[in-house]
Amino acid sequence: MSSPSTLGDRWTRPARAFVDGWNRLGRQAEFFAATLRSTRDAVINYPSELIRAIAQMSLGVGALLLIGGTVVIVGFLTLMSGATVAVQGYDSLRQIGVEALTGFTSAYVNTRIGAPLIATVGLAATIGAGATAQLGAMKIHEEIDALEVMGVRSVAYLASSRVVAGLIVVIPLFCVANMTSYWATRFVTQMYGQSVGVYDHYFNTFFYPTDLLWSFLIVIASAIVIMLIHTYYGYNASGGPAGVGEAVGRAVRASLVFAVFVNLMMTLAIYGPTGNFHLSG
Amino acid sequence: MRVPTITASWVIVKPVRGVGEFFAMSLDALAALPKRPFAVREFLLQSWFVARVSLFPTMMLAIPFTTVVVFLLNVLLREIGAADLSGNATAIATVNQIGPVVTVVVVAGAAATAMCADLGARAIREEIDAMRVLGINPIQRLVVPRVLAATLIALTLNALVTLVGLVGSFIFSVYVQDVTPGAFAASLTLQVGTTDVVTSMVKAALFGMTAGLIACYKGISAGGGPQGVGNAVNETVVYTFMALFVVNVLVTVISQKVVPK
Repeated sequence: MSSPSTLGDRWTRPARAFVDGWNRLGRQAEFFAATLRSTRDAVINYPSELIRAIAQMSLGVGALLLIGGTVVIVGFLTLMSGATVAVQGYDSLRQIGVEALTGFTSAYVNTRIGAPLIATVGLAATIGAGATAQLGAMKIHEEIDALEVMGVRSVAYLASSRVVAGLIVVIPLFCVANMTSYWATRFVTQMYGQSVGVYDHYFNTFFYPTDLLWSFLIVIASAIVIMLIHTYYGYNASGGPAGVGEAVGRAVRASLVFAVFVNLMMTLAIYGPTGNFHLSG
Repeated sequence: MRVPTITASWVIVKPVRGVGEFFAMSLDALAALPKRPFAVREFLLQSWFVARVSLFPTMMLAIPFTTVVVFLLNVLLREIGAADLSGNATAIATVNQIGPVVTVVVVAGAAATAMCADLGARAIREEIDAMRVLGINPIQRLVVPRVLAATLIALTLNALVTLVGLVGSFIFSVYVQDVTPGAFAASLTLQVGTTDVVTSMVKAALFGMTAGLIACYKGISAGGGPQGVGNAVNETVVYTFMALFVVNVLVTVISQKVVPK
C-alpha cells in the first residue's frame, strides 16, 4: 500500500494547466506593458537600434531581401487581393446587369476590408515572423542575457524599438498596399472590357478619403498588436534551434488571430450600424 | 554554414536554384506517391497534428471575418433596398471568397509554419541525413504523408469555414440586422450552386498541397542554426501566402471561364 493515491490527480492536473495558462497570460500582459512603457526610452536612448530595425523591416533579411523585401511582398499580396475583388465583383455584378458598379466595389471593398486585412496578414507574415526569428535566435545564443549583463535594458533595446519601427514602417507600406490594390482592380476590370471612364466615375463618386484614414488607423493598431505578440514569442523562445522555429510558428498563429480580430472589431466599431455610407442619398 | 559572398551572379542564381530545388522535390514527392510502403501511420499522425494546430485559428478567424464582411454587405444592400438579397451576397462572399481566403490564412499561417518548424528541427538535428544513411527515403517517409495530410485537412477546413460562415452570417443578419430569415434562406442559392462549391473545394485542395510542399521543402532544406530555422519558417509563411493568393485568383478566373453559368 505504498503507492500514492491517484484520486487527486484527476483534479490537480487540469487545475495546474489552468493556473499555468493564467500565469502565462499574466506574464504576457506584463511584457506588453513593459514594452509599451519603454518606447520613450528606446526612442531617446537607442535611436541607432531603432533605425537599424526600420531598415531591416522595410527591406527584409536573408532570402526575402532577394525577392524585394517586405514592401514588394505586401504589394504583391494586395495586388492579388485587388485582382480578386475585380474578378469576383465584376462577375457577380454582371449576373445582375450592373457591372458598371465595379468601380464602386473597388472603392468600398478595397478601402474598408481588402487592403487593411491583407496588409495586416502580410505584416504578420513578413515583419512579425522575421522579428520572432531574429529575437529567438538571440535568446537561444544567450545574447539577450549578455545585453542585460552589459547594462543594456533589453526590453527597450530589442522589443520596444521593434514596436516603434513597425509603427513607422507600416505607414508607407500601407500606402503601397492601397495603391496596388486599387490599381489591380482597375487593371483587371479594364481587361474584362469595361471602359476606364465608367470605372473611374463610379470609383471617384464612392471613394471617401475619410474611410482611407480610418483604414490607416486600423492597420496601425493591428501593427502594434502584431509587433507586441511577435517580440514576446521571440523574447521567450526556448529549446534550441527547434524552439526558434516553433516560436515563429506559434507567434504567427497567435498574431494572425488577434490582429484580424482587432482589425474586424475596429471596422465594426468605426462604421457602426449605419455603415457611414450614402448611396441613395 | 558557409556564408556566400554577395555578388551579382549569386543574387541571380540563388533564387533560381531555390525554385529549381523546390520543383525537383515536388516531382520526387509525386514519384514517391505510388511507392509502397505508404507511411499510413505518419499520414494519420500528421493529419491529426495539422488539424489540431489549425482548428482554433480557423474558428477564431472564420467568425469575425464573415461577420464583418456580411455586415458591410448588408449595409450596402439595405441602402439600395435589397435586403432580401442578403443571403445571396452572403453565399457569394462565403463560398466563393471567404472560405478559400480564411483557409489560405490558416493553412499558410498555422499548418505550414508548424510543419516547417517540425521538419526544420529535424533537419538541424541531422535526423534527415541519418534517415538517408539508414536507407530510408525522407521524401517517401516524411514529405508524401505530410503533403497528403495538408491537402486533406485543407479540404475539411474549407468545409468548416463555409459552414461556420453561413451559420454565423445567418445569425448576424437575422438577429442583428433584421433581415427576414425566409428571404435569407431563399436567396442563398440564387447565384451560388454546386459548381461554386466544387471550385471552392478544388481551391482548398490546391492550397493544402502547395502549402504542404513549400513547408516540406523549406523545412528539409533548413540550415544554419537557430536563426536558420526561424528564417525557414518565416520564408515558408511568405512564400505560401504569395503562392496561395496567385492560385486563388487563377482558379477563380478559370472557374468563371470554364463553368457555364
